[in-house]
Amino acid sequence: MNSAMAIGVSKEFGNVTALNHIDLSVGRGEFVALLGPSGCGKTTLLRLLAGFETPTDGEIWINQERVADKTRMIPPEARRIGMVFQSFALWPHMTVYENVAFPLQYQQHVPADYRDNPRQRVANMLEMVGLAGMENRYPSQLSGGQKQRVALARAIVFNPNLLLMDEPLSSLDAELRMQMRKEIQHIHRELGTAIIYVTHDQSEALGMADRIVMMRGGQIEQAGTPHAIYYEPQSPFVAKFVGRSNFLQGNWADARTFMLANGEGTIPIHVSRDCSAFHAHQVLPVRPDQLKLRPWEVGSGGVLGTVRHAQFQGREWLYSIRVGEEEWEVVTDTREPFGYDQQVEVEVCV
Amino acid sequence: MASNLQTALTERGQQTDKGRRWAAPWSTEKMTTWLVLVPVAFFFVYPLWKLLALSVETETGFGLAYFSEVLKDVRTWDAVGHTVAAAGASTVIALLLGVGLAWLCAYTDIRFKGAVHLLALLPLLIPSYVMTLAWTQMAGPQGVLNRVASWLSGSPVELWSVYGLDGIIVVMGLTHYPLVYMLTLSVLHRIPKELEWAARSSGAGAYLMFRKVTLPLALPGIAGGGLLAFISGLDNFGIPAFLGIPENVSVLSTFIYEQVIGFGPSAFARASVLSILLAILALAGTGLQWLIVRKSKVDQTSAADKSVRVPLGNRRPGAELAVWGFLLVTSVLPLLSMASTAFLKAYGLPFVWENLTWKHFEFVLQNHAGTRAAISNSLMLAGMAGLFCLIAGTWFAHWRIQRPSFAGKAMEGAIALPYALPGMVLGLAMILTWIEPIPGWQPGLYGTVWLIFLSYVIRFFILQVKSSTVSIMQVGKEVEEAARINGARYWTSWRRVLLPLYSPGMLTGLFLVFLTAFTELTISSLLWTSGSETIGVVIFSFEQAGSTTHSTALSTLIVAAILLVLSVGSWLKQLWQRRIEE
Repeated sequence: MNSAMAIGVSKEFGNVTALNHIDLSVGRGEFVALLGPSGCGKTTLLRLLAGFETPTDGEIWINQERVADKTRMIPPEARRIGMVFQSFALWPHMTVYENVAFPLQYQQHVPADYRDNPRQRVANMLEMVGLAGMENRYPSQLSGGQKQRVALARAIVFNPNLLLMDEPLSSLDAELRMQMRKEIQHIHRELGTAIIYVTHDQSEALGMADRIVMMRGGQIEQAGTPHAIYYEPQSPFVAKFVGRSNFLQGNWADARTFMLANGEGTIPIHVSRDCSAFHAHQVLPVRPDQLKLRPWEVGSGGVLGTVRHAQFQGREWLYSIRVGEEEWEVVTDTREPFGYDQQVEVEVCV
Repeated sequence: MASNLQTALTERGQQTDKGRRWAAPWSTEKMTTWLVLVPVAFFFVYPLWKLLALSVETETGFGLAYFSEVLKDVRTWDAVGHTVAAAGASTVIALLLGVGLAWLCAYTDIRFKGAVHLLALLPLLIPSYVMTLAWTQMAGPQGVLNRVASWLSGSPVELWSVYGLDGIIVVMGLTHYPLVYMLTLSVLHRIPKELEWAARSSGAGAYLMFRKVTLPLALPGIAGGGLLAFISGLDNFGIPAFLGIPENVSVLSTFIYEQVIGFGPSAFARASVLSILLAILALAGTGLQWLIVRKSKVDQTSAADKSVRVPLGNRRPGAELAVWGFLLVTSVLPLLSMASTAFLKAYGLPFVWENLTWKHFEFVLQNHAGTRAAISNSLMLAGMAGLFCLIAGTWFAHWRIQRPSFAGKAMEGAIALPYALPGMVLGLAMILTWIEPIPGWQPGLYGTVWLIFLSYVIRFFILQVKSSTVSIMQVGKEVEEAARINGARYWTSWRRVLLPLYSPGMLTGLFLVFLTAFTELTISSLLWTSGSETIGVVIFSFEQAGSTTHSTALSTLIVAAILLVLSVGSWLKQLWQRRIEE
């Protein structure tokens, strides 16, 4: 059973290929995050699922039903999908109640109970998102976070099987974002709706999703659990995007030994996990927190680096360390601050 | 993922399409494009093509015989000279007045800016021929100005008469300065204050800052406004018709009018050659304006900053006095002079109680059949053109924005063309086209009120498109998509979401089209016949027949009606904004 499916979907805008043969299946109640940089095609994929665009090739299925292929499509209003927009898209001339009750009036297959008692249903939804009693306000009288909650209530009020969210938190400030993440998780738990969540923020995807689909250049780069995406990136792109990884230059002696180039010589590094995806590139992906710094002692034989930038972040220090021709990003705790231009020994712990 | 997809694929085999409505968007989209393209090409572009064709069509085939004939005529060069002089000199006046007033309103701390703004826009809202008529009552040989001067000096003197080229220039400048004022004001408000502060903190004094930062940034707006004033000067028919024809001063628009009205064997061909001369001037101005506005470095989407930047201190009363004195003398006083003439028993009598009467108002409203017909014609034409443009123009703007394409852009350009060209040129093109649009087909529109209706729609369509576009852009695409995804079909999303949200821009466009069409003179002066006269035509005829008391009475009524419509409009707008913004 699945809620949404894309089979071999391509989308071209003129000469530009936005999506290239995408296969994706979202299970019932599954929370899938589409993650990638801007222009990777994640929003196009979401708009294809919603029905605002038509595929150039391939098929789209929603709730066990084919809704679009390259010759015909079912329009968005007949797909029975909930959607939260980036700009919230609340109707400014309608009250909160009118906004949330709208789908009950026009959406298909609304449970009779909801349709007959819209007041009760809307009140329940508003209570669920923490806006009880705000029915008669206009959107212009609400704060950004409250608007987001109304948009969420409107998207789920008719009990859809599938909820699409297009960067819903990007127009909120940092604190509200953290809070709304909890609310979205709460709603996902309560309703069991499948969610497809578009974002370019890796921590949103890692924090909430059951499965992350990393996209790049109109193709799926890697799909898997947040844990797998973070700890077992299958390409330099994913390693860089999700873990902000440094790519150490050298060559692979065998599957578990990386020979780090260090001036004239090399330093062997034992690698405990599978990095076969990086063997061909002759690099070792190392996240900033996998590098340790200590004061340089002459004759230690370790990797010598020089501090180029140091930023205090409260919980940690963020360093840029120049090693040979490269610059590595390092995150350490605050115990032993290093100053600008100081020489340090860098230890690689992978 | 892979196994997931496999189950999905097997499930897919077991599914069948339920009987749901499928839309086929591709063919519909292409069909819509053609459904728009054909009428746009036929109604908006084809008449201009016909005009061009007729000017080179001679009895023996094609040639430039009419061109050489017209270009050899000394009266042609007289008219061209007057046209360029009137449009050019009036643009200088408009630039000086418009930029000065805009700077005072945008940056200084003069009071009652709202009222100043309204009064400054008055010359744009009242038709120029009515304003001209008002000026003849203030500064004509028998006008208030010369009568006061005679009374003061004790003997009849004529200080200045508004008739003639100098009068055309002054009245044209005073009619078109609001264009410069509006565009400059908007640009000045959008120049970030920080840019000026940065100049000050880099060591520039107030004057250097203005010259090095403010002026260069505002220049595209100023130049755009100036060119708009120039184009409007070329286009204008009412001002030179009222002030120039009695003095035998012709500009191109009145010269074309005289050619067409005078008939003669080659009248239409000669008029079309003159029209092409005028069109070339106007299109050159429009093209230049487009280039300048495109180059504008001030971000039009950045928020307007209306805070005071230059406190005037003890010079403020002087500045306020100058502004109000200017507005009263140029906007209010002429209209009052006109109204006072309308109440006089006979033209030229002194304005005292025994000489006042209602009878001219009574005459134009009740006893003169032509006027009654004209009022109902103009109401009907403006109402129908307004409604048609409202519906079709809003739909077009929506289609063009939601489905951006080259074809849509080109079509908007085509729709803008009849408005960019002088009205006299379009009027002539309509005659030439609709006598026999396609060889062998004479629809019989020529000589009826319906050709005037068609011309109004073609000329003013772009006004509605632009006004609706503003609202559609502000509302954005996601609001409509939200309605669709929540189950609203096409009509439901229009009714519940789009129409309520687009209504401010739609109504602004409706007001614009209605008001401009209601008092239109240029096109109807060419196209009217007995029974299809319009208000503009009747006022013009009264004036040409010397019935000044009747023309002023009807004009006074028109001004009153316009002010009424405007107050109702602004009241509606306020009501709406209160609802949206609370």
